[in-house]
Parts: sequence; structure tokens; C-alpha cells
Amino acid sequence: MTEKQTTTSAAFLATLKRDLLIAFKKKNDIVNPFMFFIIVVSLFPIGISPESDRLTEIAAGVIWISVLLASMLSMDSLYRSDFEDGSLEQLLLSPHPLFFLVLAKNISHWLVSGLPVVLVSPLLAYMLALPSEAYGTLVLSLLLGTPIMSLIGSIAVALTVGLGSRGLILAVITLPMSVPILIFGTLAVQSTLNSQSPLGYLSLMLVMLSVSVSLAPLASGAALKISVN
Amino acid sequence: MWVWFSKLGSPKWFYELSGKWLPWLITAMVIFMTIGLVWGLLFLPPDYQQGFTSRILIVHVAVAGTSLAFFPLMFVAGTITLVWRMKLADMVAKNAAILGAWFSFITLATGSLWGSVMWGTWWEWTDSRLVSMLFQLFLLLGVISLRSALEDSDTAAKACALLSIVGCINVVIIKYSVEWWNTLHQVSSPVNMDASSPNGPEFWIATLIMIVAVYLFLSVSLILSTRNEILERERKSQWVQDLVLKS
Repeated sequence: MTEKQTTTSAAFLATLKRDLLIAFKKKNDIVNPFMFFIIVVSLFPIGISPESDRLTEIAAGVIWISVLLASMLSMDSLYRSDFEDGSLEQLLLSPHPLFFLVLAKNISHWLVSGLPVVLVSPLLAYMLALPSEAYGTLVLSLLLGTPIMSLIGSIAVALTVGLGSRGLILAVITLPMSVPILIFGTLAVQSTLNSQSPLGYLSLMLVMLSVSVSLAPLASGAALKISVN
Repeated sequence: MWVWFSKLGSPKWFYELSGKWLPWLITAMVIFMTIGLVWGLLFLPPDYQQGFTSRILIVHVAVAGTSLAFFPLMFVAGTITLVWRMKLADMVAKNAAILGAWFSFITLATGSLWGSVMWGTWWEWTDSRLVSMLFQLFLLLGVISLRSALEDSDTAAKACALLSIVGCINVVIIKYSVEWWNTLHQVSSPVNMDASSPNGPEFWIATLIMIVAVYLFLSVSLILSTRNEILERERKSQWVQDLVLKS
């Protein structure tokens, strides 16, 4: 029997579809980081100050840091179940370039964990008294920044996938690396608040996104090969 | 060239060669360190603006400059580990991460000491170099903790090599992104050898001596800890057992 050859794009789409399907069947992995994000953001006004003046000052930073923490928590589910049931090995054995398969996994993971956070952010921004003219910039910066977080986090998760308890080591590795995104994300929002154009910061984030889309899956693939062997 | 390269990968060869280098390196280090520290900390004339506090900078600048060498070093060692599977490169990288964390810490500590007098504060978030040095320290600690978490030494070697390469690229991005903040840090003054200028040549010569001394210190500690690592990892091999029996 001759096997039918699949194209790389078909493999890419199949991986994307499979991961989305699994994500919707295991809703806990999606819902918990999302709830975590909303709860952390709501703790800040209680801990710091309920006055709207002070909340406006910290709103962008609070949302950004909570996004970083939530995305780090959700990263853990990216490769874990695949590693445990052996399908990660099948992925590595596949004849298609690992780059695209890893990218497909990252995209589907971002769709279910990053995108909901971005969509709910204007609501939380309203609760933190962020002036409404900054909503657009906030959403745009998150839209550019959360995929970068997923791509960077994917490298760290791939490196630690074989470990028993990896929650904290994941934080130690990824959080320092997210500093540039945090800086540009919050600076973009701040500059809108000071009625300056945030375009410079946003285009820098776009540069970082395109660099990480083209390089991070390579590093994640290499890291997966190291961890699985 | 390639023979030399593959020879360098052999721990035994490195152990023997570094054994010959060490006495010279240690002698040179002691000489430079003594001259630099005694002259720089005790006899250097006070700066016209900073007074005697400028003497802290002799140590601070040397250590800070050296601590920037660690991520590039680990980048090279990591590439060698991943491409040529050279065990020696990983032994160097392991100790470089630990030494690098110490150097970054000492840079922050001496910088805070100097800052507490000159800026009136021990810590200043608006200074970009301070913040990027802090995050370099965090990244190095991340590499160290990844290594200690992974039990299999071969996996740990490759994983840390990859993380060092990613980290090195990241340190550069962090450095430039943090510079978007308003910076308070001293712009490093241009080298001025003119004896009549307020920053006379003595200051620069003392700093240069100290930089050489700290680089020598780095090489000596890296070689010593790598030799230690070689003995530990190769303890089952014949030549190490012969060596131990002889001594």
C-alpha cells in the first residue's frame, strides 16, 4: 500500500485543528488562567487604592503584569499532555518541518489563552479607570505582545517539559525575558495618555513579534528534541 | 586548526594544559590585583567632583565590564555544546553561569555603594544600566536553576546551552529597551590622558589595571572550577584515578 503524501500546510492545519479541539474539550486549561487574570487585576484596587486617580496611573502596568502572569500559568498546558501521552514524540518523528508544527501549536494555544485575555482587557481597563482614549492602544499592544509571550514561553516550556514540578522554574526563566514587552506595552499606553502617538512603540512590538515568530519556533523545536530524547 | 580544536575538547588535554597555565595566570593576577587595589583604593588622588568616592569606581567599572562578558561567553560555549557536542564547553558554561551571577551581584553591590554617596540613593529604577544588570542577574539565575532542576547531565547541558543562547539575545534586547527610560547613570567619560585635565590619566590607568586584574581573576576562577568539574565528571576514567593515586 502506498502512503499518501501530506503537504506541510495540511500538517500545519491538522495540528492547529487538533490542538483547538483538545483545548475545547479540556476547558479547565483555558478557563483557569483567564479567571486568574481577572481575579489578579481585581485585587490591585483593593490592595493599593480605590481612588480612580491612582488607578489610572497604574492601570496599564497592572493589566500588563497580570497578562504576563496569566500567560505564564497557561503555558504549562502547551506541551504537557502531549508529552505524557506520547503524541509529542510522534510530532517530532513527523517528516514535516518541526518549525511549522510548533508554530501551529503556539498559534492554537494563543487563540484559546491569549486572545480571550486581550478581548476582556477593555472591560478591566474600564474598571481600573483607564481613560477611554487609551483602550485602543491597550488592546493593540496586547494583541502584539501576548503572542510574543506565548512564543518565548514556548521555549521555556519545551525545555522543562520533562520535569515533575515546573511551575516556578518556568516563571524564573520566562519573566525576566518578558521585560522588553512589558516596557513597550506600558509605554505605548502611557504615551497615548500623554496624547502622544504610540505608533513608535507599537511598531517596535511588531518588529519583536515578527522576529519571535521567525526564530522562537526554531528554538522551541530544538528544545523539544533535547527534552524528549 | 581542527586538530587543535578537537584536542581542546578533550578534558584530559585541557586539564594538563591549564595546569601549566595556572601558575603564570595566578602570578599575573596577584601582581595586577595588588597594584590596582592598593594604588586605586589607597593612593589615587580624589576626583575633582566626586572626591574619594571615585575610588569605588575603579573596582565597579572593572567588575561591571567583566560581567558583560559572561553571556557572550555562554553563547559561544552553548553553540559549541549544541553543534559539536563538546563536553568541555558545557563544563565551562556551567561555571560561567555561576561566576556570572556573582559578578553581576558584585557589580550591583559596588554600584549601590557608590550610588548611595553620589546619587543619595542605593537603588534607582530610572537608571537603565542598573535595571538591565538586575535582569541579567535574573536570567543567569534562571540558567542555574534550570541546570539544577534537570537531572540527566546530557539533557541539562543541551537545555542550558539553548537557554544561554536565547538569554544572550534577550539580554541585548533588554538592555536597549530599558534604555528607553530616562537614564541617570554616568555616561562613561571619554578616556583622557591629558595630565592637566581634572580627570587625570591616573584614574584611567588604575581602571585599566583593575580591568586586566579582574579579567585575570575571571580566567583563573573559571579554569579552577572547570578543572574541578573535569575531575568530578571524569572520576571513573583511568587518567583521573591515576592522578588521584599519584597525589
